Amino acid sequence: MTEAADLKECKLKHMKCELNVLSKSDGSAILSQGETVTLISVNGPLDIKVQNQSIEKCYLEVLFCTKGGRPSVPDRYKEHIIRQTCESAIMGSLYPRTGITVTIQELEDYGGLLSCAVNCACLALLNSGLAMRYVFAAVSCAVDETGNVILEPTYQEVMNAKARFNFVFDSRNKNLITGFSEGIFSEAAYEEALEMSRAASDLVFTFYRDIVTKYSNVI
Amino acid sequence: MKVSVGDVVLPGDYCEEISAAGEKSKVIVGPGLQKESNHVYVTKAGVLKKKNPNTYWVDYYQKRYTPARGENVIGIVIQKAGDIYRVDLGSSMSAALSYLSFEGATKKNRPNVQIGDVVYAKTLVGSKDMEPELVCVDSYGKKGRLGVLTDGFLFKCSINLIRKILNPSCPLLDSLKNEWPFELAAGMNGRIWIKAKTMRETIALGNAILGAEYLSDEEIKAMCANIASILAGHVA
Amino acid sequence: MTHACNLEGRQRLQTSIGAVLIQLSRFYIHTPRHALHYTHTHVDFRCSKYHPFRVIHPVRYFTSYIERNVRPDGRKFDEHRNIKLNINTIKSAETSALVKYGNTTVICGTKLELAAPKAEDPDSGFLVTNVELVPLCSPKFRPGPPSDHAQVISNVVSEIINNSKFINLKDLCIVSDKLAWVLYCDIVCLDNDGNVVDACITALTASLKTLSLPTVTYDPETEEIKVDTNNRISLKVNGLPVATSFAIFPNCERSILLTDPNTFEEEMCGGNGANITVSWNNGFLCGILKSGGGTLSIEQEKEAIKMAKERTL
Repeated sequence: MTEAADLKECKLKHMKCELNVLSKSDGSAILSQGETVTLISVNGPLDIKVQNQSIEKCYLEVLFCTKGGRPSVPDRYKEHIIRQTCESAIMGSLYPRTGITVTIQELEDYGGLLSCAVNCACLALLNSGLAMRYVFAAVSCAVDETGNVILEPTYQEVMNAKARFNFVFDSRNKNLITGFSEGIFSEAAYEEALEMSRAASDLVFTFYRDIVTKYSNVI
Repeated sequence: MKVSVGDVVLPGDYCEEISAAGEKSKVIVGPGLQKESNHVYVTKAGVLKKKNPNTYWVDYYQKRYTPARGENVIGIVIQKAGDIYRVDLGSSMSAALSYLSFEGATKKNRPNVQIGDVVYAKTLVGSKDMEPELVCVDSYGKKGRLGVLTDGFLFKCSINLIRKILNPSCPLLDSLKNEWPFELAAGMNGRIWIKAKTMRETIALGNAILGAEYLSDEEIKAMCANIASILAGHVA
Repeated sequence: MTHACNLEGRQRLQTSIGAVLIQLSRFYIHTPRHALHYTHTHVDFRCSKYHPFRVIHPVRYFTSYIERNVRPDGRKFDEHRNIKLNINTIKSAETSALVKYGNTTVICGTKLELAAPKAEDPDSGFLVTNVELVPLCSPKFRPGPPSDHAQVISNVVSEIINNSKFINLKDLCIVSDKLAWVLYCDIVCLDNDGNVVDACITALTASLKTLSLPTVTYDPETEEIKVDTNNRISLKVNGLPVATSFAIFPNCERSILLTDPNTFEEEMCGGNGANITVSWNNGFLCGILKSGGGTLSIEQEKEAIKMAKERTL
């Protein structure tokens, strides 16, 4: 099931995706946004240790493996962000006393790793057939020295930026699920970045629909 | 986003058609759909389907099995515990299969099932809150086609492939059964058991089934004919 | 494939959780008064966390308060808990601060050390913050290496402080490429009743604001270091970062923002700390972190930012 889709709009980085790349996992996706590439595998619902089981919802575990392979505190934070995002989307109450594992492998990072990982996680979850409330799309933004908002910054722009943002929106009402900022910025810049990202998230949702359309004929 | 029957759907989409139909009569909402307040929301990515008069569901891709009631599945016995066998179905929890749910079994006369045996059984309980339970008899106490599968070869595949080959309109099994004799059991949990006379025929059969996953009906017919001719050529 | 399923098959008796709870509550109601006398007579259940309703059905207990526009502890949605601040509690630390947000208690101690700056950044000192959630503060934490939750809180606190430019790291440098101050800020949570991040930021800023650095003389030829602890210069700080956290309760029609949530409220809104933290410093935002909880509409987001801003004025 090899699928690739292009995005006509040049507003976002070029996205390419392949679903079901790993034969043994329940759902997997590899996504490239520009030069940044991540590979995600989803397994579940699985049997887990009794101490982690919850009678109300599934236990979601997110593992983030960097290219270097050494775990660090910022990685734990990325895991936390992705876990919280996935947890709000997955209908965990349908899988009580089970566990779902999301494993993220960074392949290339040229800026926007976190948003690429979040989008890839969404595609892998779609592929795994787990029930979700909505799909989610992550968009990254940067504010440069002069206060201009740049959508999907390049690696160089990220390095020179005064502030960086990552936003994740849901597909139902385009509400903010997760937001994450670095640097110092004004309220106006934040609002502008948020609105631009909200508009751009539509492109990601269209991309998801294209991907699913392409593989729907083999379902 | 608003969608209608036949569309490609994503989680979070809603279908007004279903809620409108629900106001007039009873509607059966199948897998991949969930009612929330006044809307019916899609929860899985796939294609929204309808069966007249009022059954709706989403066809989606899936590999991991979640037990559902009344499905024929293939499991592997992993443990004998008291008066039940524990059977692995590939789901999150192993299923229970009672000694007594075999044809003619009594307290004294236990069925001969060993750890590692492959059983073809029907799910009696398939609920998210309860352990799955299997039986190897129908409601008349007859085994029918259920029971321990001896010899043969077991392999795993996606749940969609099982649905595809069991679909009466799929030409795969029809074309293969005319070529050489074999036995086949397809479990809705993504496992297929096959048995043919020779090793060569078994491998050919397994490859034909796995190869059919992404092919159209015409391509499947061509593939079957091709495999059969190769097999016949070597056998002869 | 079309055998009728054995409907009357043996179904083993499974005791559902609900049945157990009903039995429990029945026991509670029907037990003669004298049986409960010894343990329960003097406990007032109305506000206690052992209120039977809260134990049996926490979600409904919580929503029945929310429907009446009040929180279980009697606060309004946008009301903070009382904040208590005690500076220089620990005499052995360079500076310290003890902060209480209601029951949440955190203590921050700073320590000064000298070290050589990093080669790639020779003009900067170091600010090292660490948050520890010890088993003392909540039954959720076990002894051993820091949990994921502790690492996340630690990361959030250091991100907010670093992003706010509260301390200019260049001020910590004594001699370029040779000598710089290392500022260790260790924050320990003594009692975790929700909203640890805000409390940590308050404790951290309070202890940094009172910090003074001893004067240091460095002889480049002999590489001799002289520290004069009697002659101190107070550390330059920039503004005062304030973090304000909210829990977002996903209600049917619209999510509800709960300012300064306690543990119970955090649990009801996802159970991983507060859901949105807005930090201001000097009229600029230095961190908006949202994770988990309900989704946030545009107006609510603006409302949260506004409420956080009002707190800094």
